[in-house]
Amino acid sequence: MILTPSAFLRVGLLLLLALVLQLSAVGQIGLLGGHFDLTPLVVAAVAYYGGSMAGSAAGFTMGFMIDVAAGQTMGSSSLVLTAVGYAVGRYRELRDPAHGLLPVPIGAAATAAWVTAFAAVSFMLDIGATVSPVVIRQMVVTVLLNALLSLPVFAACRRVLRPSLMVDPADVRRRRRPPRETGPLGLRGLEV
Amino acid sequence: MFDKGVVRRRRAALAICVALSVALLTAYFGESGGGVLHTLQRGAQEALAPIETGAGRALKPLRDLFGWAGDTIEAKKENKRLKGELERLRGELAQAETARRDARQLRGLVGLQRDDGFPRGTQPVTARVIARSPTVWYSSVKVDKGASDGVKVDQPVLASGGLAGKITRVTGGTAEVTLLTDASSAVSAQIMPQGANGIVKPEVGNPRDLLLDFVEKGRRVTHGTTVVTSGFTSSRVESLFPRGIPIGRVTQVDLDEVELYQRVHLKPFADLRRIDFVQVLTARGRPASATAGLTP
Repeated sequence: MILTPSAFLRVGLLLLLALVLQLSAVGQIGLLGGHFDLTPLVVAAVAYYGGSMAGSAAGFTMGFMIDVAAGQTMGSSSLVLTAVGYAVGRYRELRDPAHGLLPVPIGAAATAAWVTAFAAVSFMLDIGATVSPVVIRQMVVTVLLNALLSLPVFAACRRVLRPSLMVDPADVRRRRRPPRETGPLGLRGLEV
Repeated sequence: MFDKGVVRRRRAALAICVALSVALLTAYFGESGGGVLHTLQRGAQEALAPIETGAGRALKPLRDLFGWAGDTIEAKKENKRLKGELERLRGELAQAETARRDARQLRGLVGLQRDDGFPRGTQPVTARVIARSPTVWYSSVKVDKGASDGVKVDQPVLASGGLAGKITRVTGGTAEVTLLTDASSAVSAQIMPQGANGIVKPEVGNPRDLLLDFVEKGRRVTHGTTVVTSGFTSSRVESLFPRGIPIGRVTQVDLDEVELYQRVHLKPFADLRRIDFVQVLTARGRPASATAGLTP
């Protein structure tokens, strides 16, 4: 990711928009006992397109904003989302994946990591009450719902971040297409 | 393969973010409710409130659409249960009418005065829910009424049907309601009409189930009875909740021979998963003993 003031502004506005949407609308949409959760998806998208450094910074910022805006224990969300952002970013840097449907497993994995790790942190810090087994079903449903939502969220994030990206996975995918083997003789073997 | 500078920067970014998170956690637990981080939270909530209110109203049709889909799935089961409950309530209504007539005559005899409205002597302020905690571990909502409307910390909050929680943080124009389903919640309660006392606590992650704990083992608890706030008052402490606010209905009783107490499961009257409006009781309800000496 090219670190310019414009890039910081774009990422900041993207995170703020996701937070407001999550708190005031998306988080209140319940389906089959679970809820959509934009926060890990947006952090994963920033990490996927921007790399591990942008991912960990975006994760920390998003977590900080959630804790401040929702009145939760400060530091808990930022710790978990930092790890999620860094992990997704490193995966992207090491494997350089370019499949068009990759946001689905990445979104699901990021959400699963977020709900599991946040549960663990909450348990360790200040949850002293009985925990219902239903919470596991809620976590699974949230992961599935987020997997459905990941393609449009990643596409929207890519659109916002594109001017600041050094490498766009969609361009990588286009470059990897096999060369033409049919058509006019002069074009065979060429990427046209 | 990788530039060493890039690797160093990447690791430094991760280390800084993790260190900052741990420092925030430590500082947050170490400071009092009036500390810098708590003040920052209140300020940020105040600043975000207008945006959240606007976004919440604009996106309400979308929420309703998904809510409708979920409701349809549960509607058949709910309909069957409600029909059975209607039959039972018809019988109870007849009994209640008789008891009410008797009670009116008895009240006249002993000179008790009963205020209109519920709970007695309280001043409800209606507020709209503008934001909700994004995780199941912290069950709280933010409402669009705050200190300027007379809302204060620890005031009880009702949703349609019964008790929803209490105010835990207040800014000028907003307030945070910690719901009964939050891990930190505990309410002294009484089973009616048996009178057994206990503490209502959440079962984290399951908003349809509350636990009434510390109910004496010998007390008989019947399925379907109502649980209300006990509103106890002693010389040293007083319950935050006025007496008589309905909380839920008994659904199950766990009898464990090893335990000293029995554990009662309740289904809350208020649907804590979908709250759009709440009422904050901005004045203290008068305890029962205060009204006992009044004459008509």
